[in-house]
Amino acid sequence: MSDLGQRLKQMQARFEDALAAAQDPKSVDAVRVAFLGRNGEVTKVRRAIGSLAANERPSAGRVINEAVARMEASLDATLRKREGKAFEAALEQSIDVTFPAQHPNVGSLHPIRRVMDDIASYFERHGFAIVLGPEAEPDYYNFDALNIPPDHPAREGFDSFYLSDDMLLRPHTSPMQIRTLEAFAPPVAVIVPGKCYRRDAVDARHSFMFHQVEGLLVGEAIHFGHLKGMLIGMCRELFGVDTDVRFRPSYFPFTEPSAEVDARCPVCQGSGGTCRMCGGAGWIELGGSGMVHPNVLRNLKYDPDVYSGWAFGFGLERIALRRYDIDDIRRFFENDPQFLEQLA
Amino acid sequence: MKVPIGWLREFVDLPVDSQAIADRLAQIGFPVEDITKRPALSGIVIGRIATLERHPNADRLLVASVDVGDGRRLNIATAARNVAVDQTIAVATIGAQLPSITIERRKMRGFESEGMMISADELALPAEWFEDGILQLNGDAHLGEDVVQWLQLCDDVLDVEITANRPDAMSVFGLARELSAAYDTPLRSPAGMEPVAPGGTDPQGVRVTLKSKDCTRFVAQRFSDVRIGTSPLWMRVRLALAGQRPINNIVDISNYVMLEVGQPLHFYDADKITGRHLIARDAQEREPLTTLDGAHYELKPRDLVIADEAGAQGLAGLKGGQKTEVTESTSAIILEAANFNGARVRRMSAALGLRTEASARHEKGLAPILTDFGATRAATLLAAEGATVHPALIFGASIEPLPPIRFPIGEVKRLLGFELEGEKIDAPLEDLGFGVTSKARDRLDVTPPLWRRDVTCAADIVEEIARMTGYDNVPAELPALAPRDISSAEYFVERTASRALQALGYHEIVSYSLHGARVLEKYATAGLTSLPLAEVRNPLSEDQRYLRRTLEPGFLEHFARFREPMKIFEIGHVFDPSGPVDEHAMAGFAFTAAAIDEPPWSDTHFLRLKGDAEAVIAELAGRRPQAQAMQLNGFHPGKTAALLIDERRVAYIGAIDPRLASAYDIDLEVYAGGIELENLPARVAPRFVAPSRFPTTQRDLAFIVPLEVTAAALETDIATAAGPLCKHVHVFDEYRGLQAGPDRKSLAARLTLGRDDGTMTDSQADEVVERVLSALHQKFGATIRR
Ligand SMILES: [Zn+2]
Repeated sequence: MSDLGQRLKQMQARFEDALAAAQDPKSVDAVRVAFLGRNGEVTKVRRAIGSLAANERPSAGRVINEAVARMEASLDATLRKREGKAFEAALEQSIDVTFPAQHPNVGSLHPIRRVMDDIASYFERHGFAIVLGPEAEPDYYNFDALNIPPDHPAREGFDSFYLSDDMLLRPHTSPMQIRTLEAFAPPVAVIVPGKCYRRDAVDARHSFMFHQVEGLLVGEAIHFGHLKGMLIGMCRELFGVDTDVRFRPSYFPFTEPSAEVDARCPVCQGSGGTCRMCGGAGWIELGGSGMVHPNVLRNLKYDPDVYSGWAFGFGLERIALRRYDIDDIRRFFENDPQFLEQLA
Repeated sequence: MKVPIGWLREFVDLPVDSQAIADRLAQIGFPVEDITKRPALSGIVIGRIATLERHPNADRLLVASVDVGDGRRLNIATAARNVAVDQTIAVATIGAQLPSITIERRKMRGFESEGMMISADELALPAEWFEDGILQLNGDAHLGEDVVQWLQLCDDVLDVEITANRPDAMSVFGLARELSAAYDTPLRSPAGMEPVAPGGTDPQGVRVTLKSKDCTRFVAQRFSDVRIGTSPLWMRVRLALAGQRPINNIVDISNYVMLEVGQPLHFYDADKITGRHLIARDAQEREPLTTLDGAHYELKPRDLVIADEAGAQGLAGLKGGQKTEVTESTSAIILEAANFNGARVRRMSAALGLRTEASARHEKGLAPILTDFGATRAATLLAAEGATVHPALIFGASIEPLPPIRFPIGEVKRLLGFELEGEKIDAPLEDLGFGVTSKARDRLDVTPPLWRRDVTCAADIVEEIARMTGYDNVPAELPALAPRDISSAEYFVERTASRALQALGYHEIVSYSLHGARVLEKYATAGLTSLPLAEVRNPLSEDQRYLRRTLEPGFLEHFARFREPMKIFEIGHVFDPSGPVDEHAMAGFAFTAAAIDEPPWSDTHFLRLKGDAEAVIAELAGRRPQAQAMQLNGFHPGKTAALLIDERRVAYIGAIDPRLASAYDIDLEVYAGGIELENLPARVAPRFVAPSRFPTTQRDLAFIVPLEVTAAALETDIATAAGPLCKHVHVFDEYRGLQAGPDRKSLAARLTLGRDDGTMTDSQADEVVERVLSALHQKFGATIRR
């Protein structure tokens, strides 16, 4: 027994020395392994129990266990002390938080997509589906079904690129009014963003390829007041909560009554003058709208006395030009990296 | 259309402020594109040259004594050459305000001039349209009268946009009618304008035969004792303000009536019409015609002409002919006020490449009643010019009232969303000339006026009421919707793809879907044949001839132009030339990068591209695709892959053929891919497999296998041979060369092994490896590289 006690005492002394010498958490852990680990000194002492008489073994075990508990407590206390020192040093560091950030390699979205997605989100929130359609469409969808028969003077406004006698690149997104109403009976509520093409000479304000967003709502008891309500809401979302919106009578063969929609210029607040944003008009022309013409509904075999609805078609470039204060529509298709990164 | 406000005021009382008038016009559907401001003018009166003498001290100056009424005489010096005693002229008196000067007393070579005689320039009229020197009033004015007020010279000119459905408003009087309804003030008609009384006869007049149904009505009228000369100043000023150059009294009257009433007219020299017979008919094949401007045409039956018995004398609704032209020596004229099918005129106009003020009106489909209004108004003006007026003759259809439209009053509420009744409905309609009769408590019969053939249904009437009530007064509200469930999936696939690509560092571009032959030339330079393209028949320029078949040319153009290394993407349609076009939605992405020095069998950039593609596809479809080598036009033959899901191609990726990149002068490596959005399966939610609680063990093995064994095949075979204890296989290295032997390569794979029910022992792991080795040895003759 005294032999075991002696060994225990010597081991504890060595443990205390080793612990005192351990100046950082890592060394403290090394001490733990050396003494309390699987092949550590304590294990060696425990093996000596086997040589004791059977009646001495339990008390010897207890003595060892008590010693181990003391050693563990002492290890933990030392470890906490050593760690505290490490934190002290860490806490003394100080950096210049205004130093430029290291940017991750993120890409960017085209400004047309941003405008398109914002409009889509607004309408989606109000229960509209967002559908897409083909860019090459026959005359029927572009014109005839929209109450623009051959020889109609309004066809003049749609100078189009033809692919065959009957097939053209759509000059507006309105063909999707017809496709949607062919596929779904009212009540339908959709918006259609997409590319359109017209044989316009390219300049700062015109492009032969551009984007439109079409809106269509047909059901029972749908009226012009609903058109105003939805479009005013859209403009306020795009241009600010105080935006005024103006509806002016106009003419489109596929709507009746028809209206042009203008938003009050967010820069000059309608005073015009030399304002660059609105070109001095005080208002920003967004595009056409109106109540779906009864002939369009009739063409699709819906009774215009039962169903009514409205539609609109706005140019996305026109909105984006104003929203980002861009000077030239061609910039949207030049894709200059500086342009893309700035508007990202 | 240029509309002098002064001319409008003849028919309707209007506010002083031009902008207010413009705003009101816009509110009722006639936006004003521009307001031409007139300068401030004052102090100009009508005078008559009483005497004219040479200036005592200057040869080049004349001194006139000008009678300005009430016995007042002004002594005025002038250098003008076109003055003579008894001329009526305009005089700027002392204190008069002209565009650039104020008239003051001044001495001209010792002579004190008490004013200034006026030329067109000083009234801010285009000088080249008027006589050189002093403006001649042709005796039609009262001495002393204020010229500025008389000619309404300070009233601005509006440039009004008129929509295609409103040819009735393509005239000063038509717009005056709209304004009278808008302001609810009386409308005054132009003097003499009325329906032509039927049954007129004129033994010396022309006979008119309408052989084409495209000429529906023809009013012909003879005027004799015509003296060709200068028009009265008031008419010339109005024409000039409206942008029409004055020519002579006959041409001016036809233009004046067209601008005022909206009906184009034509005058023939009565003595030059062969057989005193006019015929409206289709032209004969190659029938010749020389028009007033001296242009020669060889006509086709598509063209509608007005002919006499000798042949075509004019293009119906477009332009008159030279042979029957009114000239200085003309003494009798025949007026034509005709109604033509608008579509026919438009087709002719387009085919002949000829567009005139007349055709711009005819092609929109004029109301037949305008022929009467035009003829009677012209007759009044010609009579004032001293011509003898003979009865007007009517040929063709008589004027029939338009059918009444049933109008349930509830339509206002149904289409506009708010209630209007009684006066609020009737008054604006009646002001616009509609007949309104009450048929029942809730229903009206509304008869459009003869000139409003655009109004044919209840919705049209609602628009008339709405624009007169004001669109601003329609209350806005949000609809309460429960619409049909329509899928937005296509849109959201594009939206998700755009966000995923953005997150991977790609910048979105939008390039034109149309391109020129340049793309084909680049492929040819690279020694590649390009696939057939869908073509536009009528491009505006040659660089819009072809529809893009893929997005890569757009990427290459971009890299060629902006030379910095960049990752870009585009989402858009591509077009195949079949029947005549088949289009697909693509999400393309590409980057340029400097070549890496690595062995020929590996390409790190390709693996980056593949990683990006897999990430985007995983986001869209919820799973990763399998790669398979493929050949693709414009791509590197050994570095291109199809990505498949369920055996269906959903994307392609690869290195751009270096010859093509070089044809675009791009000196970096170009990598591109395209996701075929329509081929993507619907996104499936991945299923969770709980990780084992027990540790796994890894074994790295390098196999020597034949060259054609792919990494994917090796992974599959290892996984199959290893069985369920193999959690993951991953090929991480490839080596070819002496140590691998000819026609063989070394592929190194890491196996992750583990059990779900306990810790895997070394001997169990060795067992699995043995199984794998023996299976691969059997299949490929694979050996382990030591
Ligand atoms: Zn502005």
